[in-house]
Amino acid sequence: MSPAATEELTDSELDRAFRALSDPTRRAILARLAEGDAGVLDVATPFPMSQPAVTKHLNVLEEAGLISRHRRARQRLCRLEPARLKQLSDWVGSYREFWEESFERLDELLEELQGAHEEEQSKTHSKRRGEAR
Amino acid sequence: MTMTDTPTEIITPPGEPLIRTRRFLKAPPELVYRALTEPEYVRRWLGPRRLEITVCEADLRVGGSWRLVHRAPDGTEFGFHGEFLELDPPNKRVGTFIYEGAPDATATETFVCERVEGGTMLVSTMVHSSVEARDMHVASGMEEGILDSYSRLDELMAQEQER
Repeated sequence: MSPAATEELTDSELDRAFRALSDPTRRAILARLAEGDAGVLDVATPFPMSQPAVTKHLNVLEEAGLISRHRRARQRLCRLEPARLKQLSDWVGSYREFWEESFERLDELLEELQGAHEEEQSKTHSKRRGEAR
Repeated sequence: MTMTDTPTEIITPPGEPLIRTRRFLKAPPELVYRALTEPEYVRRWLGPRRLEITVCEADLRVGGSWRLVHRAPDGTEFGFHGEFLELDPPNKRVGTFIYEGAPDATATETFVCERVEGGTMLVSTMVHSSVEARDMHVASGMEEGILDSYSRLDELMAQEQER
């Protein structure tokens, strides 16, 4: 686990955001909103589901901080919140960084241990040869 | 300097609450296993250099416990602890894993050292679970989302920047 991950988001925020992203319809909604703000009806059009069902998905996305809703004239529009996506992306990235740097350090340690081990063995070896003589 | 540019493979199978990491190491399993389990070695490699390890303890017996504390440059500490469930040197080490910032969630962490030509393939698997099946479900959704969504996120971010 990467401790750095928790600096930006709490665990429950992460849970909510990843749960929101684990659904293909909700990911498609985000992709649609990446093209620009849209009303519920526009968002719902490509999906074979009722408007209330789409609204439910939008609520999940809003609670996860992935979208926000605001009014323009008489229309209620949904907007992508890229900041939260960025945080998630950073979170995954920091997990990888954590392990990549750890493994690089482990490489160095193993190299050192192996060197020491081989030296030890050759010492024992020559000692044994000495005794034999 | 590092010996090679060895890739770290991070896998999150869809529908399973686990993260699997695979990495080749140029040393035999006997050495890798010791580096993974003995505190004097663990404190020398686990985590990025900017994090200081202030506590690193392990009672290397089945049922024995381990604890590790990382300190960030700003002084924030991150503690982790768990219990050893299986110790089978030099092949396998299984233990529980609890992040002290979220002590209700217990994960299971397994290290397997596979002997391969020229060294060891280290496979680490972190299975997230919790007492209640519901929480398990949440964890599943979360991990499934991670890499599944990763390329998607990049796409979205790229689109967002073009706007």
